[in-house]
Amino acid sequence: MKSYLKLTSFELSRFFKLYLVLIAITIISQIIGVIVYSNSYLNEMNKVIYEEQMPKAEFLEVYGRSSLFNLTQTLWFLGPIALCIVALIFYVFFIWYRDWFGKNTFIYRLLMLPTARINVFFAKATSIFLMVLGLIALQIVLLFIENMIYQWMVPNEFRTDMVVSQVIQNFHILDIIIPTTITKLILYYAVGFMAVFVIFTGILLERSYRWKGIFLGIGYCAIAAAVFVLPIIIQELLQKNYLYLVELIIIEVILGLFVAACSIWLSSFLLKHRITV
Amino acid sequence: MIEVKDITKKFGRKQVLKGVSFSANKGEITCLIGINGVGKTTILNAIMALTPINKGQILIDGEKIKKESFDKLTFIPDAITVLPNMTIADSMQFMRDYYKSWNEQRATDLLQFFKLNPTDKIAQLSKGNTAKVNLLLGLALDVDYILMDEPFSGIDMFSREQIADVFTSHLIEDRGVIITTHEISDIEHLIDKVVLLDEGVVIKQFNTEEVREMEGKSVVDVMREVYQS
Repeated sequence: MKSYLKLTSFELSRFFKLYLVLIAITIISQIIGVIVYSNSYLNEMNKVIYEEQMPKAEFLEVYGRSSLFNLTQTLWFLGPIALCIVALIFYVFFIWYRDWFGKNTFIYRLLMLPTARINVFFAKATSIFLMVLGLIALQIVLLFIENMIYQWMVPNEFRTDMVVSQVIQNFHILDIIIPTTITKLILYYAVGFMAVFVIFTGILLERSYRWKGIFLGIGYCAIAAAVFVLPIIIQELLQKNYLYLVELIIIEVILGLFVAACSIWLSSFLLKHRITV
Repeated sequence: MIEVKDITKKFGRKQVLKGVSFSANKGEITCLIGINGVGKTTILNAIMALTPINKGQILIDGEKIKKESFDKLTFIPDAITVLPNMTIADSMQFMRDYYKSWNEQRATDLLQFFKLNPTDKIAQLSKGNTAKVNLLLGLALDVDYILMDEPFSGIDMFSREQIADVFTSHLIEDRGVIITTHEISDIEHLIDKVVLLDEGVVIKQFNTEEVREMEGKSVVDVMREVYQS
């Protein structure tokens, strides 16, 4: 356990600089986004009301009130989120391959540590999970700050005030990233964690069997994905509404646990008996 | 004792090891000799469970390798195994954090012995100093067995001499060493046992003292005989 925690902390420290860059980009881009969005709305308002002499009421009728929700649809807001998602997806692969292909072959050291090798697997998975949670926490805090900045900038009469949870609920992408109920949070992030386990297992298959491993890894990921989504496909295409939603969720949870357990078992086996440096 | 029993290893269609067997005792230096590509590194990797074998068995003090074994043996590969952005002190701290067998006194002795500066970054070290740090990190562990892969490969004469001096110092003491090298001249006088490999098989293994006393031959003489025939 101690080794696992130390390894997790070590993995986090290895990504820390890049992580700080992602955080900085997100903060800067989204704060600039609020300012740019609010200013452009205010400029438009000034132009129409003061230069073109349109009454306020008519302006609101034609242009509508501005809201934080509109801001979340802009590239300033969504761009850094997409960047963080892409960076973390890339990092799911990089976190293993850099240890083989980096300047120094650090994988030797990791595999020779006097601890169960599966701890290396768990430490890498946990560090990714913590990084994701960190970015989510940042996004929630940022939404509150952005809401405050926005309310300072746009006069009360021209805006529709929304609390942060309303903004999230109204925007499907945000609702996935920042689930508003505990059930959703557990389900979404459990699926994410399972996906990381499956991809890690695919990578370890490739690292164990090299050329053959590429096909084995892709095959394993495809089978795991198929097993997991099969009930949903059957429900949607063949047996519409055969299962109640709660039944479908229970089946998915069981399948998710099964896929995760298989991935952990297979990865442990590969790390112990098949891995090649 | 490390026992390697009839191991075979294939990489794709190429059979690299074809039933290799030998043993290495504590308190002895066993040298695996052979030209490049003969399977020396593969044997060390297999002992450390860093590459799977197709057949055969490897035992450390009568047991198969498990996580606890890594507190009993250490492997010093030919490339350094810590991150380039670490300083020497960082890499020592890393080892201290994970290995119960880390011996602080021996690490300090080695640091002085090799005249290394702990604040130097690994990425900025010369090849010779990188090899010395690699040795330091491996030798500072209180383990029974040390595996070394080509410790003299590609480094200057003075660094080679310094590394060779380690074998006669208290830093090795009575530990079992398995070393692979083709630069035999640096350590010929220190080796207890030699395993000659060719095309994945052990073609001869002998005790250097016996050969010296009974046949009046050096390791290099035996190598010439075997490989040239």
